[in-house]
Amino acid sequence: MRDWTAIAAGLKIELGEGAKRTLEGLDKSMLGLRGLIDWQEEPVLQCSALPVEDETE
Amino acid sequence: MTMAGMTLIDAARALRDGQVSSAELTEECLSRIERLNPSLNAFLTVTADTARAQARQADEERRAGMDRGPLHGIPIAHKDLFCTAGVRTTSGSKLFENHVPHFDAAVVERLREAGAVMLGKTSMHEHAYGITCDNPHFGAVHNPWDLARIPGGSSGGSAAAVAAGLCLMATGSDTGGSIRVPAAYCGVTGLKPTYGVVSKHGVMPLAFSLDHAGPIARTVRDVAVSLAAMAGFDRRDPSSARGRAHGLLQDLLPPPEVASLQGVKIGMAENFYFERLDPDVDNAVHFMAYRAQDLGAELVGLRLPDGAQLNAVSQVTLLVEAAAVHEPYIRKRRKLYGEDVRTLVDMGRVIPGVDYVQAQRLRRRAQVVYRATLKQVDCLLVPTTPVVAPLIGQTEVEIGGRMEDIRMASTRLVRGFNALGLPALSMPAGFTRGGLPIGMQLVGRPFGEKELLRIAAALEDATGHVARRPEMAG
Repeated sequence: MRDWTAIAAGLKIELGEGAKRTLEGLDKSMLGLRGLIDWQEEPVLQCSALPVEDETE
Repeated sequence: MTMAGMTLIDAARALRDGQVSSAELTEECLSRIERLNPSLNAFLTVTADTARAQARQADEERRAGMDRGPLHGIPIAHKDLFCTAGVRTTSGSKLFENHVPHFDAAVVERLREAGAVMLGKTSMHEHAYGITCDNPHFGAVHNPWDLARIPGGSSGGSAAAVAAGLCLMATGSDTGGSIRVPAAYCGVTGLKPTYGVVSKHGVMPLAFSLDHAGPIARTVRDVAVSLAAMAGFDRRDPSSARGRAHGLLQDLLPPPEVASLQGVKIGMAENFYFERLDPDVDNAVHFMAYRAQDLGAELVGLRLPDGAQLNAVSQVTLLVEAAAVHEPYIRKRRKLYGEDVRTLVDMGRVIPGVDYVQAQRLRRRAQVVYRATLKQVDCLLVPTTPVVAPLIGQTEVEIGGRMEDIRMASTRLVRGFNALGLPALSMPAGFTRGGLPIGMQLVGRPFGEKELLRIAAALEDATGHVARRPEMAG
């Protein structure tokens, strides 16, 4: 897991305990969610800002 | 004729029939604001002179035979992050305490063109980044059903103002539930439209890919006519939906009576959305589902993708985008931020870019899954919040024997729909034994607002929860 205190210190930011707990929770979730990413896909298809109306087609 | 108990639609009819003038409605609202706002703190700025002038103009136009539609002469308010030319727009912050824009937001323009009368600007959570509306710079906003409780946020001033009858409609913005949570906690109706339906030009941003603007009003039909006035393509907003989308948004107002939901399929989540709820909320929302069934709708049990995962994706997106929005200010003017918002911005600054990119990939996948699910049903019916309005200053709530952070609890059933961009409407679903309002969401297909409003209107007609009002609303 990431060391949020160290990452924040690198940016001269002090994080409280509650903030660190939330970030740890998100970190765990995002790590778990990596299993849902299709690593064969073309990322630009997922990350481009497609016009939203195209999604109604 | 007085406007006590009147809905926007009632007032529009009375104006058209000449039973009341816009000047009279506006004076009554101003008088209620003067009497009740010291207890509620729902309005941050009251523009009484402008309102009177706009009301006079609306009355003159009517006398001359002009009819701008159902909002012509209707007193409304704007959340204080919609830019208003010549009128202070703070975004609930010390940072923009003296910010006076030189232009109107697109929504403000559109509502003015529809003939609405602006009473002023409503209070909100600082920078729209939170759900309590316990604002460190301008004071806490109070819930009209119980002044010791929060109205929800971030559009809490708008929802409290509508619930207390200080105005007939108010605008809101919703990045992680900020229209729907206050609508639920204040017993009114709020709609987060499909992403891109309402222009965000001139709306002070929080997270650009999650921000939505929409109306808060007492009833579904009030919301429908308000959305009709607010929606439309706007080339000044790069995220504004073009073309075909708006064809689907014609004739939004449901008929005067929607007696049947025959042929409508309503998705009932079998996971996540009905877990860890206050029993009163659980009962009320299920009661609404059974009313829909009585009206002919088919309830379809569905397993949805894990809501907690979708919330994580939404939260990473929000934290990072909000940090990017606040980057120019947070380092040099951090003392001007309240503690909770400063902490959230700092959290966003430390999240690695790779997490943001992966969140967007996961978000697209979730959008595909939800779109497929919404081909099987016409809408989803889920609670808006797992609990009713917490007390001002309360930080945790016990649900199902487990303590939960108020902010996380209040947003866990709403924030995912911001990441998906789907239309989601919160409407009253009943009351607790203690008399506090309970909210429920209907979530529709992209640009499916018309069908969503029709289903909601049928349920509203069948249950009559909107007739019950806070005592102070008189």
